Amino acid sequence: MIFEKILSPGKKERKVTDNMRRHIQLLCAACDLFRTAMEKDDRNLMRDVIDLEREGDSIRREIISLIYEGAFLPYLRPDLCRYVEIVDNVFDVLGDTAPYYLDGKIPEQIKSECIRIAYFNSKICEMLLITFEAMLKGDDLREKTLAIRIYEKKIDDIKFSLIRDIHKIPISNFWDGKILSEFISGISAISDIIEEASDHLQIINVSMK
Amino acid sequence: MKVQELMTTKIESVDSDKTVYDAIEKMVDRRIRALMVRFPEEKLNHGIITARDIVFKVLAKSLNPKDILVSEIASKPVACVDKNADMNEVASLMEKNKIARVFVCEGEKIIGVIALIDIMAGALIMRARG
Repeated sequence: MIFEKILSPGKKERKVTDNMRRHIQLLCAACDLFRTAMEKDDRNLMRDVIDLEREGDSIRREIISLIYEGAFLPYLRPDLCRYVEIVDNVFDVLGDTAPYYLDGKIPEQIKSECIRIAYFNSKICEMLLITFEAMLKGDDLREKTLAIRIYEKKIDDIKFSLIRDIHKIPISNFWDGKILSEFISGISAISDIIEEASDHLQIINVSMK
Repeated sequence: MKVQELMTTKIESVDSDKTVYDAIEKMVDRRIRALMVRFPEEKLNHGIITARDIVFKVLAKSLNPKDILVSEIASKPVACVDKNADMNEVASLMEKNKIARVFVCEGEKIIGVIALIDIMAGALIMRARG
């Protein structure tokens, strides 16, 4: 546990890292729920994603408070806070995208590709958790962040193909088109933000050495 | 890791009665190196055409790609694996047959394609998972 050993291993630090872990685990649960909701076309499950976003928000507040109450050395605090904000941004995007699913209808032609993106989102999130745990152990994060980039690239490929496909789908009114467009932007933005979070973990890891 | 985890489910294809030039256009537009070939008339109705086929069988021989049909140079039958096949198993199949991509099938239906780069990605993800 180099992370905790090098940097004042107090109760507050332990509480912060435990909460950060809980934050990512909750994000993984939200991504899994999003994917299952899409696979089963279960609207109640999709509503639960919005609830998880609120829970994520409260964990974020708790972490930031603990950090500013004095956990960790001052030079590390801004980076840790920034990282937590980035993870919270993923929650926000998930929480904002779920209502688009509830309000609209995903055309059959692109449904399986959207589910595929949701599947990769849960995988990339799982990899973020692995990266975080590796950072706590003081391991090299190079292989973990590469795996995240691989998933991100996969999602990007699907996104480009989706963009091509949606041009062929007739849209009957402005709002249907807007909802569909926002939904696709949302599900395909998640991996970009998780990649940013993993890059930030790498920065924190390097700055500790 | 199973192939279904990283396979590409969106498969670009071309009809067997199109010209090689049509296939080239599609490959350039989509930035891909292979296309599934549909043979609607035949029982064994799937084949594959790769950039390698186009270069070695047409362009390097100074043949006109507009005069040659996809069906004349496509490879058939295609290599297929089950969606639950292991990545290592597929890598061995690719090495044995000297091919860079394998289709993923569910019964007679093709549901995806797995390329050499996906096998590499899969191996790297497994390393990262530890």
